Amino acid sequence: MKYQLTPTEKKLVRIAWIVGLLVLSAIVVVELFMHHHAHFEKDGITIDTLPEFYPIYGFGASFVLVVFAKTLAIALKRKDTFYADD
Amino acid sequence: MQMTDFPPALVLLSGALLLPFLKGKLRWVVAFALPVLALADAWQIITEGADSYIPFLGMQLNPVHVHAPTPVFATVFAIMVAGGLLFSMNQKTEHELPAVCVYAGGALGVLFAGDLVTMFIFWEVMTLGSTVIIWSGRQADSEGSGLRYFGLHAVGGVLLLMGIVIVVQQRIASGDPDPLAFRHFESMVSLWSSFGWDSAGMWLVMLGMLVNAGAPPFSAWVPDAYPEGSSSGTVFLSAFTTKTAVFTLMVAFAGVEPLIYLGLWMALYGIVYAILENDMRRILAYSIINQVGFMLVGIGVGTKLAIDGASAHAFAHIIYKALLLMSAGSVLAATGKRKCTELGGLYRTMPITMWCGIIGALAISSFPLTSGFTTKSMIAQSVTEQAALLADAGLSHNHLIVTWFILEAASAGVFLHAGIKFPWFVFFQKDSGLRPPDPPWNMRAAMIGFAAICIFLGVFPGPLYQILPYQAEAAEYAKVVYGVGHVLIMLSLLLFSGLAFFVLLPMLKRTETITLDFDWIWRRFIPHFWRDVLLPLLQGLDRAQKAVLEWLPSSASDDGNLPAQVRRRLPGNWAVSVPVFVIVLMLLTYLVVYFWLLPA
Repeated sequence: MKYQLTPTEKKLVRIAWIVGLLVLSAIVVVELFMHHHAHFEKDGITIDTLPEFYPIYGFGASFVLVVFAKTLAIALKRKDTFYADD
Repeated sequence: MQMTDFPPALVLLSGALLLPFLKGKLRWVVAFALPVLALADAWQIITEGADSYIPFLGMQLNPVHVHAPTPVFATVFAIMVAGGLLFSMNQKTEHELPAVCVYAGGALGVLFAGDLVTMFIFWEVMTLGSTVIIWSGRQADSEGSGLRYFGLHAVGGVLLLMGIVIVVQQRIASGDPDPLAFRHFESMVSLWSSFGWDSAGMWLVMLGMLVNAGAPPFSAWVPDAYPEGSSSGTVFLSAFTTKTAVFTLMVAFAGVEPLIYLGLWMALYGIVYAILENDMRRILAYSIINQVGFMLVGIGVGTKLAIDGASAHAFAHIIYKALLLMSAGSVLAATGKRKCTELGGLYRTMPITMWCGIIGALAISSFPLTSGFTTKSMIAQSVTEQAALLADAGLSHNHLIVTWFILEAASAGVFLHAGIKFPWFVFFQKDSGLRPPDPPWNMRAAMIGFAAICIFLGVFPGPLYQILPYQAEAAEYAKVVYGVGHVLIMLSLLLFSGLAFFVLLPMLKRTETITLDFDWIWRRFIPHFWRDVLLPLLQGLDRAQKAVLEWLPSSASDDGNLPAQVRRRLPGNWAVSVPVFVIVLMLLTYLVVYFWLLPA
């Protein structure tokens, strides 16, 4: 049977979503105006100074890692009794 | 004999001899006195800074020596033993406690080893102690995984010993006044790309150390063995083997470039495998490899700040990883379950375990105001600083640019696979119907204490920075660690990684599966090759032999002709054949080294 959240829990989940989205929005706004220094300026690499570079990089890296992991799993995933079945 | 002549390792090893004879409260009083005495002894030695020597088989061994990273590692090892003991007081198994003393004693012995022979002896002592801890785990596969762990580490030990023999021989040949010394292999920094005789010994020493560090292709032993310890045993296991390997690599191979690439591989490997994992303690085991990867990058970069970063990160990692495994261990002890598919919703009845788990998860993710932030970020900083230096000198440094971008991606990935995944699937996610209470007071106290350290080091990193190998560099870094840009970068990476987690949640839904790794070779391929190919072949030869020469002994692989009483006492085929295989391998290797490899 699916567990029904209590009214307090529903309220907490709602607050968590609102706080989470507010924090993310705040970062997006601050990143828009924040000027990060280039880590490899001498090499002419300035991509990390672009607005919103780090939020996009954090999201993108995680996205790529999950997609890569799921792709790898197609070949390497086995039931967790794989070795025990021997 | 002065206090400073007494290796701290012997304090814990003496305890291991004493504890089996003690019962009740006295056992715990003595147990808790051991890390305190060992730490006092260690710091006495560190303060005095004097070496001690003992004669052994015609050699002058140096069991008391302080390397640059010894203070920081010795301190955290002692804290770990004390915190782990507090957590393990409810443990029923009799063997675990003495085994922990042997294990931690071996680890401390390595930290103070001034020569390669002493280092090797304590290295092997550590293997023995940790194997017994795994065997004491009473999990479904404790026996088998302990055996595999022992076999693999024995092979690692052979590689290490072969390397030591060659290195010492080369040093003697070159007139080195202290051929046994455990010190930095300066020539390895330039010689690593040559695979000739000159670098063979160093390569073997490094490979032996890398086996213990959980580097590829040997990473699989970490998630195979560690989750098979008891709820408290795994806490200890997570602390010493990989971090002692980090210590030895730091002393011997700082600045050796391949370590950067291995470290990057480990950082990404740990994330990818942890994303796919269902067992909560295997998730955390994969994240050990991920975190050790960061440390290896620091060692590979090899600058003073990088070594500080790797040391500080090892300190922080031992504490937050132990905290995470204490949280997971509390869940395991209370529910008997390890799989994410069987857990969820425990926040209702295990709030302390949940909060401590969350603090550990934030610390491993390098969230600002936690220990991970003030330590791991040093490594990334060292990469950019070194790249700038090389750029100024007109030297190639593109590999460091790539390294920095991968490290930042891996930092985001840590939040994904450990920072959110562990607490989410264990404490929230769905209602598993389980309603276990928080664990007993001692386990709660250990978790709260370690959580406090995670936050303390995040807010006040000064005391940790003061015991790092290069304090001046650490003090400089302390001025910039909480710069606005620095904090914002980390928050952006982490929180948007968190967003990715929830956006991709349907893809991250857990299934009752594992992901194959290199250990498939020795867990599936070799046994099946033996069973389906070699054994029938040998049996066929045996029958042919019998037919031709009746007097030849019957099959050595078949114990059927042993008396029934003896046969009953023998464990399964693999339990016998693995140690026999390992011992034969070791003997053969010694022969090869002595009679062929060594120049006349």
